[in-house]
Amino acid sequence: MNADPGLPPGPTPVPAGQPDPLPPGRWQPLSHRLLGKGLGALHGARSLRQQLLVWVLLPQLVLWLAGAFFTYNLAARYANAAIDASLLQATRALARQVKPVGNGLLIDFPRAAQDILEADPNDRVLYTVSSPPGQFILGNRNLPMPPTAGDAGAAPGDPRFYDGQIQLNPHLEQGEKPIFEQVRVAALYLSYGDDIGPSQTMLVQVARSSTNREELARRILLDTVLPLSVLIIAMTMIVWAGIGAGLAPLSKLRSQVVGRAANDLTPIQIDVAPHEVRALAQAINALLAAVQRNVGAQKRFISDAAHQLRTPLAGLKSQTELALKDATEPALQARLQRVHESATRSAHLVNQLLTLARAEPESATRQSQERVDMAKLARELTAELVPRALHAGQDLGFAVADEAEPLHVRGTSLLLREALINVIDNALRYAGRGAEVTVLVAAEGDDWVRIEVNDNGPGLPLEQQHQVFERFFRATHEGTGCGLGLAIVKEIVERHAGRVSVQSVHPTGLSVQLRLPRSH
Amino acid sequence: MNLLLAEDDALLSDALSAQLREAGFQVEHAPNGAVAEYLLLKQPYDLAVLDLGLPMVDGLTVLRRVRAAKPGLPVLVLTALDSLDDRVAGLNAGADDYLTKPFDFPELEARLRALLRRSKPVSSASEMGPLSFDRDTRRATLRSEPLELSPREWMLLDLLLTQREKVVTKEQINQVWATDRAGGASEGGAGGNNAIEVYIHRLRRKLEGSGLVIRTVRGLGYLLEAEAVVA
Repeated sequence: MNADPGLPPGPTPVPAGQPDPLPPGRWQPLSHRLLGKGLGALHGARSLRQQLLVWVLLPQLVLWLAGAFFTYNLAARYANAAIDASLLQATRALARQVKPVGNGLLIDFPRAAQDILEADPNDRVLYTVSSPPGQFILGNRNLPMPPTAGDAGAAPGDPRFYDGQIQLNPHLEQGEKPIFEQVRVAALYLSYGDDIGPSQTMLVQVARSSTNREELARRILLDTVLPLSVLIIAMTMIVWAGIGAGLAPLSKLRSQVVGRAANDLTPIQIDVAPHEVRALAQAINALLAAVQRNVGAQKRFISDAAHQLRTPLAGLKSQTELALKDATEPALQARLQRVHESATRSAHLVNQLLTLARAEPESATRQSQERVDMAKLARELTAELVPRALHAGQDLGFAVADEAEPLHVRGTSLLLREALINVIDNALRYAGRGAEVTVLVAAEGDDWVRIEVNDNGPGLPLEQQHQVFERFFRATHEGTGCGLGLAIVKEIVERHAGRVSVQSVHPTGLSVQLRLPRSH
Repeated sequence: MNLLLAEDDALLSDALSAQLREAGFQVEHAPNGAVAEYLLLKQPYDLAVLDLGLPMVDGLTVLRRVRAAKPGLPVLVLTALDSLDDRVAGLNAGADDYLTKPFDFPELEARLRALLRRSKPVSSASEMGPLSFDRDTRRATLRSEPLELSPREWMLLDLLLTQREKVVTKEQINQVWATDRAGGASEGGAGGNNAIEVYIHRLRRKLEGSGLVIRTVRGLGYLLEAEAVVA
């Protein structure tokens, strides 16, 4: 994938840890390149999986935060309410102990009760009784006054609750810092006095440290948030796995497209897939089908064109043959001879083009596979070509390494036949008059069948040898060859998972070798 | 030799007619399928050359109809289509041979003659250059001189003659000899490749100077051909 020049630099679309199944080869399949770009765009900044995860988990997080906030507030409110209730109770109880006697107040506050109230140092309860409000009578002098202290509007008998601060060490020594504590205070204004005389107001305050209240709220918060967090983590894991499972058909789709041969246009098979992925696969299949139709139409056109050329070429050839017979003037005959050669070469080219079209995988896949006895096939073909070789004054022979050994190959006999004919034809064409051409069939190990066509003709310079299998390569421009013969051979042999090679023969000559996988 | 040529391409049919006439055929030309069908059904032809891509009625249809009426008529199909399917369709419709355009005229002529040979009752006599070979009387003459042949030599020459200008494999020779054990046994020689070489050598000596040569085809067998006049 990194070798793909069609990809812009950026995040690679291959998920980490997955080996790229396609080695950077000579030909980059078009489909592969298309998919690479497509997935790249799909990935955008981050992977689909990450995006999905973020969009699924973000609302969860918001929910979690809001839940925690509301739970805390609710807990604090109920905790306050409970504490307020107990403070009020204590205030009322204290108020009951204060009895007006004439113009004074009788406070019947047993020491034992006082001890109980002030017993717990962590949960200190402080109280103050003042009358009129502000005029300290009993208890702790440092309790903060209600926010609306002295407010005439304060209705007697109505409790007030407020938060305040109390200095724990009111008598500061040298260099000592004041220590404050948060307290919750309940305040109760009460009226007392004779029915006749002017009514007097008494303020009873009971305060309690806020530490307890905060502790309670914190515990409630913890008890709520902890299970919620565990839930979120579990959820994340489930969602992650779910997304993975959901995206599995996508990677399956990818594996089906990546590593395809450029000419493999068969539809993608996805049996079990979500609707969206199946739609994508169907879209790709529709594209593949369109490409296939297009390619098919082009091939049909080439084939049709070649067919259409055949009849006029046959006419041209026949007419020149006739004219050659009638022409008496040597100059005219020479001209006609050249026309005839040209017609023959064109005819040969058309035939080779059609053979090549047939050898191409598109049509080769439609041709049936069978077990072909290569020794028998080569023997028959050589025998067929012997008369032609004799006419050209060439000695065409056949040899097989071991008569008894079966040399079978799996493939299309018609195509293998074309391949062999073309190799032998090539040798006869270029080896020259008087040359010796030998077809040799042999087993090469257990896995290969080797067919060699050796000649003792002029051979081919080393620097041209690697070109002989290219289309339209011609080492010499004599004769009626069209430069497609060995290209056809290569195409067909490679279709059968075989290899072609060429090498010089000592002292002169050329050896073309085909290796085909042996079938047992 | 009456021959019907059904071909719609004017250039080709014109040249082909001339070439076939030169080769000694009485040629009639049908420019389309309908005419071809009519002529083939009405007239006694010895041979038909049929293009498949004919106008009006296509060649395969003509072939099928004519084949139904005249099962013995040798028909050579000439066509621009050469895929396996096309070939099979042509042969299924009753073609005796199949030639793809463009072709070399000598090949067409050779195939037509082969068709004629096959269509006629097997001739007991063959001729090739100065050699005549009569299977009924079991007599062979070379330049009108009697040619003495042993039974094995006779069978070998018979095989080479019937497959003239084609490779005769050693397997074929052994097979023919094996079917006639009596003849082979009387000569006392064992079969096998050595024996074949011995008999080929003898035949070559007997044919020396006649213009007929038996070529050895390396690894395959032998081939009887008329020596090229111009080397």
